Amino acid sequence: MLRITDVSKRFRSGNYGVRDLSFEVRGGVLGLLGPNGAGKTTLMQMIATVTKPTAGSIFFRDEDVVAKPDALRRRLGYLPQDFGVYDNLTALEFLNYFAALKGVRSRTKIQETLELVNLHQVANRAVGGFSGGMKQRLGIAQALINDPDLVIVDEPTAGLDPEERVRFRNVLSDIGMGRLVILSTHIVSDVESIATEIAIMREGALVALAPPEELMRRAKGSVWEVVVSSEKFDELRRTLHISSAVRKSSGVQARIVSPFPPVPLATPVEPTLEDAFLFTMRNGEGRNGAATAPTNAAAVA
Amino acid sequence: MSERLSRLAAIVRADFLIRLRRPSTAIIFLLLSASAYLWVPAPSTGKCLIQVNGHRALYDSAAIGMATAMLGTIFIGLAGFYVVSNAIRRDVLSRCGYVIASTTMRGSEYLAGKFAGNVVFLTVFMSGFMLASMSMLIVRGEAPLQPLVFITQYLLLVPPVIVFVSALAILFECTPGLRGKFGDVVYFFLWAGSAGAAASLIDRPNPPVWPRYIDFTGLGFSMHQLGDTLHTQSVSIGASSFDASKPTIVFPGLHFEWAWAGPRIVSTLAPILLLVVARLFFHRFDPARLRAAAAATKRTWIGRFNAMAKPLARFVLALIPRGGSGSLLDAARADAVTTVAAFPLAIVGVFGLAIAALASDAHGLLTGVMPLAYAACAIAVADISCREQRAGTSALVFAAPHLRQRFVAWKFLTSMLVAAAFLAVPIVRASILRPDAALPLVVGLAFTCAAATLLGIVSANPKTFIVGFLTFWYVATQDKGATASLDFAGWFGKATPAVIAAYAGLAMLCLAAAAAYHARVLRARW
Repeated sequence: MLRITDVSKRFRSGNYGVRDLSFEVRGGVLGLLGPNGAGKTTLMQMIATVTKPTAGSIFFRDEDVVAKPDALRRRLGYLPQDFGVYDNLTALEFLNYFAALKGVRSRTKIQETLELVNLHQVANRAVGGFSGGMKQRLGIAQALINDPDLVIVDEPTAGLDPEERVRFRNVLSDIGMGRLVILSTHIVSDVESIATEIAIMREGALVALAPPEELMRRAKGSVWEVVVSSEKFDELRRTLHISSAVRKSSGVQARIVSPFPPVPLATPVEPTLEDAFLFTMRNGEGRNGAATAPTNAAAVA
Repeated sequence: MSERLSRLAAIVRADFLIRLRRPSTAIIFLLLSASAYLWVPAPSTGKCLIQVNGHRALYDSAAIGMATAMLGTIFIGLAGFYVVSNAIRRDVLSRCGYVIASTTMRGSEYLAGKFAGNVVFLTVFMSGFMLASMSMLIVRGEAPLQPLVFITQYLLLVPPVIVFVSALAILFECTPGLRGKFGDVVYFFLWAGSAGAAASLIDRPNPPVWPRYIDFTGLGFSMHQLGDTLHTQSVSIGASSFDASKPTIVFPGLHFEWAWAGPRIVSTLAPILLLVVARLFFHRFDPARLRAAAAATKRTWIGRFNAMAKPLARFVLALIPRGGSGSLLDAARADAVTTVAAFPLAIVGVFGLAIAALASDAHGLLTGVMPLAYAACAIAVADISCREQRAGTSALVFAAPHLRQRFVAWKFLTSMLVAAAFLAVPIVRASILRPDAALPLVVGLAFTCAAATLLGIVSANPKTFIVGFLTFWYVATQDKGATASLDFAGWFGKATPAVIAAYAGLAMLCLAAAAAYHARVLRARW
């Protein structure tokens, strides 16, 4: 469905946003994970045809997106990072505006999309008074208004409260059927339950591309749990990768990502996706050293 | 409707609704309508709308129509630009532009839509102003309303300036270095310097024909027709003195003339070519180009000067109180110092104005240096009262002592401190040379800061004040003291005690209105 080959984006400053990146994915939800500055947004902007790669090619359904962007643009829904709204318009006016820009004329479609994101009851309210979650749902509504085959959402849950995050996750999960959804985030739990594939990026390069269970399988045997004193925990924190920590009366219960037992009493535990992410970030091969045996995806370089 | 037309209509409609619903639109419309009321004085005051050789022109549709159309033209040329020059920037800031860039819409289509949006908004705005001006005939008219005569005056004068300003605003927004506040300042001086240029060329004996084609403001056309129909150069328009002993004359107004048909059509359509230039610079929301443009802005001469002046900011920052009493004055001092430190080039301006003030005689100081200093100061204080709203940091400042309830006082105090940096030396120098000038100068300063505080808080946008103040400033400086009520800071020595008291009262009224509005906002949202 989407094939990216040797794609690079070099800025005029000489810095690379993305460098020699290659992968291929079919349908489903692709979670794009990575720390800030990993190149997730630049990659998404290139796929969304907002900016052109300085090298490489992007194909969507065997059509060259870089040379002929309009073919994809007709089938694309894009929600950029930190998406804002026009405060003085109502939700209906805002959606009507983007529907017209995307060539959608059906009023029924607009109404249906508002219902899909559960904003139909506030359709005639000015969006300036909306909560952050409502604005994000309006953002996803504009991305879905043209019934796209490829949906790209960049950090959609940033700043949302837990309830809104769950609601937003469910919307994305529902729309992932029969199309490709690329979801970028640095919050692992956002993609844990809905992603069919996870791509992990670091410094503009792809570190891994695999289904979540495969990433967790690879981390098996490298995640440990231990209860230590506060002093010992501070010492461990300086030298090891701590996945999570909970303060208890007996000390600090810590999950540690390490190829060997970090302390004598450490017990091996089943990795979560968060552990797998840390494990991959630490052990991933970096540029073009992507997934070893993805089931629904293939590294092409 | 084709897909392209449908997209164009959507952009026009969205831009129109967004602007129409902004509080600043209502404020600017009210200010313009109020200025029309001053522009058309009651004859009993000894002033009239149009004076020809001492004769007063009858207040009919032709006279009021032409005069208010001219006022509207000046307004569109000066303030209209600021009202519409954020169409593309809004899409950049909201990131809606990225979504637009991911659709099949061409860059030229988008710019055409934004341009059409500007034209439609300014046309509707001017139509509203025309209706408000028609009502002047009911208030002060001396003849029945003739709508067609009235509309003709507007049609002959206003379209070229609307198209020119709409296209120029797009060009400025697309051109790196001219976007933002610097472009706003450049435009003001560009317009002030060139507004009458074509008119002065047309008004010469044996004038060349070509200036008619760039007479966007219509001033040259108006002067040509007035000279032809009235056979005199002694004509003044807008709150002019007249000889009450002379009989009233009927002013014929502007009329269609075949010799001017071509020039008026060309001056209406020619500015559209600016869009071609704008398209060359348009980034189509490509983040790489936006980033490069931001870097290029830093490389402009003003960016370089600002970078060079950065060390000065360190000295200014040293003035921020550390561990002070936490009083409102401390907070205002910190706010003022931060304002200046954020744009260190202002410090150079402060020194420049001080040197100019010390080197000038009383006349040069009051009529030359002071207007410039007030304009610079107005631009510097314009965003002080609205920057928290724009940056989303209101909650941070409301959590600090005093600032939530006394926000208006804090912002006014900050504005006065920043203004004092610009004007302290000029005012002290003027007070030594002409002691009677001190009071109106200080009152004018307080009025300026109070108006900036009110308009910033109400509209959440610095442009409302910049537009309003610079329009007022332009009228006041062009009037050169002929109208005492416009000499708000006593630059021309015509501010009577009543005028000074009136501006002091207006300043207090502005602050009271700002406080009432802020209290309402606190009740509603905080």
